[in-house]
Amino acid sequence: MIGTFEILMNLEDGETAQKGINANEVVIAISPAFGKELNKTIVKVDHGKVLREIVSGIEEQGALPRIIRSYHTADLAFMGHQAAKLSGSGIGIGLQSRGTTVIHQKDLDPLSNLELFPQSPSITLETYRAIGKNGALYALGESVDPVPSVNDQMARPRYQAIAALLHLREAEQVIKNKKPVEVQWNFTIKEEEN
Amino acid sequence: MNRTMTEKRSKRFKVLEERPVNKDGFVKEWPDQGFVAMSSPHDPEPSIIIENGMITEMDGKERKDFDMLDQFIADYTIDVSAAGEVMKMESVEIARKLVDIHVSRSEMISVVKGMTPAKVVEVLNQLNVVEMMMALQKMRARKTPANQCHVTNVRDNPILMAADAAEAGILGFDEQETTVGIVRYAPFNALALLVGSQTARGGILTQDALEEATELRLAMLGLTTYAETISIYGTESVFMDGDDTPWSKSFLASAYASRGAKMRFTSGTGSEVQMAGAEGKSMLYLEVRCVMMAKGAGVQGLQNGSISCIGIPAAVPSGLRAVLAENLATTMFDLEVASGNDQTFSHSEIRRSAKMLCQMLPGTDFIFSGFSAVPNSDDMFAGSNMDSSDIDDYLVIQRDMMVDGGLKPVEETEVINVRYQAAKSMQAIFEELGFPRISDEEVEAATYANSSADMPKRNVVEDLKAAERILTEEITGFQVALILAKKGYQQTAERIFDMLKHKVAGDYLHTSAIINAQNVVMSAVNDENDYKGPGTGYRLGGERWEEIKNIRQAISPNDY
Repeated sequence: MIGTFEILMNLEDGETAQKGINANEVVIAISPAFGKELNKTIVKVDHGKVLREIVSGIEEQGALPRIIRSYHTADLAFMGHQAAKLSGSGIGIGLQSRGTTVIHQKDLDPLSNLELFPQSPSITLETYRAIGKNGALYALGESVDPVPSVNDQMARPRYQAIAALLHLREAEQVIKNKKPVEVQWNFTIKEEEN
Repeated sequence: MNRTMTEKRSKRFKVLEERPVNKDGFVKEWPDQGFVAMSSPHDPEPSIIIENGMITEMDGKERKDFDMLDQFIADYTIDVSAAGEVMKMESVEIARKLVDIHVSRSEMISVVKGMTPAKVVEVLNQLNVVEMMMALQKMRARKTPANQCHVTNVRDNPILMAADAAEAGILGFDEQETTVGIVRYAPFNALALLVGSQTARGGILTQDALEEATELRLAMLGLTTYAETISIYGTESVFMDGDDTPWSKSFLASAYASRGAKMRFTSGTGSEVQMAGAEGKSMLYLEVRCVMMAKGAGVQGLQNGSISCIGIPAAVPSGLRAVLAENLATTMFDLEVASGNDQTFSHSEIRRSAKMLCQMLPGTDFIFSGFSAVPNSDDMFAGSNMDSSDIDDYLVIQRDMMVDGGLKPVEETEVINVRYQAAKSMQAIFEELGFPRISDEEVEAATYANSSADMPKRNVVEDLKAAERILTEEITGFQVALILAKKGYQQTAERIFDMLKHKVAGDYLHTSAIINAQNVVMSAVNDENDYKGPGTGYRLGGERWEEIKNIRQAISPNDY
């Protein structure tokens, strides 16, 4: 039998996040409850797996991932824009606990974006990898083919009310006047015999 | 745990479990978080105190404790000269007036303008859904009902989009809305919708739902004629989350109107719950605050009916009744209502039809906002309550019920022809502007396509560069009209030019305006709803009824 593996994610909040100076970096802003009070997306994928895919997608293009945690807002657009503004390349990624994701650029309006992935139930791990990859390509100044958007028009009837419940839980962790902080991260892989 | 239930299952229950409705999400009420449709224990009781012409207490709250919505509504919406008397009336009496055919729409409006948000909610809670539909039939502003559609596709393919807009145009949609998969495609989508819609008929209003500043720029370039995705919210915290206030939204509204673009706000039940800012209030109470804020801002209309949050009211008891109630509330304040039905909320065909009838039977300014004129798999608003595969059902329901749902049957040859014309026009425009070539193969594919899966792929990177040129070089609707005239598409060119003239004239900024095929603006000014019971108001008959009757499937005695 083939063994399965588990990604163990360790996230430690650090100092207030600063503006980066490395032109090759992509900043990922995670939401207040990500990997803490909540640890699975709306379709019950571990946060560790999701974040690792984005980070790996950035790294394999030769860009530098940096993670910050947003406290003052759990709003995706503003998280993504904040990440972009703090990023040395001007490119940021916003990621909510339920799995919703955005790629942002510092000079865009907050409610605009480079690429938006609003339908969290239809985002696969492969898509998270591709999101990381594209974030890196924007940062490196290359021409980018946007990640194809998946459109599941029946996600709303099934998931919207649950998404609202998750967001209510996330919002309980918002701290109005707290600035985003740097996050120290590491992933370890634990193999399990099946 | 009941062992019998887990181990041996009822065969009938297993059949029920497989039914589409059981894929829908339902939740129990949670009033403390505002997860409740029409009435929460935390909703305020109606009250008003007016001193020296100023509201000093509203719905149990003193002026010093007002949040920004309370203040806006107290200062700009409520008519203090009417409020004293109106607030003394029993809510059930006001509810009866709403349903009473002997009380005219205008009389009703003069009552409503003296009501506080909590009073409106108390009145709406007196009505069952049939009474709400009777009231909606009387209270909508424009006499003639109409419909709006979505025209989008997952690849933002501009040729397909123009062809789909043209088909939607001959089906009878008076407004067409698009949005993007990728934001930078926005100028192409605006162009495709303009060209496609005007190929079908003159007067169709179009919009490109985007981040607000870009949307305004496209309207100023003359590539779109209206906007409706200017969102407002029922609590201060959610409003602030979007970096906005009632004043900033009012400013934005005037920016559109002053540049000749029709505009309405958007709000809806459930949005505050979704954004975790409901403050324990019912969805309807918060939505009534939005309706009243829109009125105070002076906009001509509002899109509501939960809209993109429909999964939330739809998950709780009396939720779809709340959605009808919010549509009704909008019309009570003499605002145009674009009444939702524009998002998937159920897997059940029975349930989605039942919901839709609440707006279709009484008629609204736009029954859907909008109906997906493309397959839902291509609907970039995440799918509508009905899509292009439901068109025949909808046309048959119009005919069965003798109800004007705003659409008309079309012949297949007519559709093929108009789609071809629209695609050819786009080919000509792209060629003239030096945009990436549109091949004859693409024109052919768009002419016969059902969805974006039927289209050859385009070079996205090159298309995006061209789309950005529209904004950087400020390519206008007027230039598009000139190109079409030069290339032999005289009729479409003139229609686009007419739309630009409408922007200067501004008549279509009046409440509930549409522009008919004769290029005449029909609004609550010249087509005011005068319903006062049987024999009055909008009556389906004459040519329009002939149009609806003549579905292509009906067999004639002469066929044999």
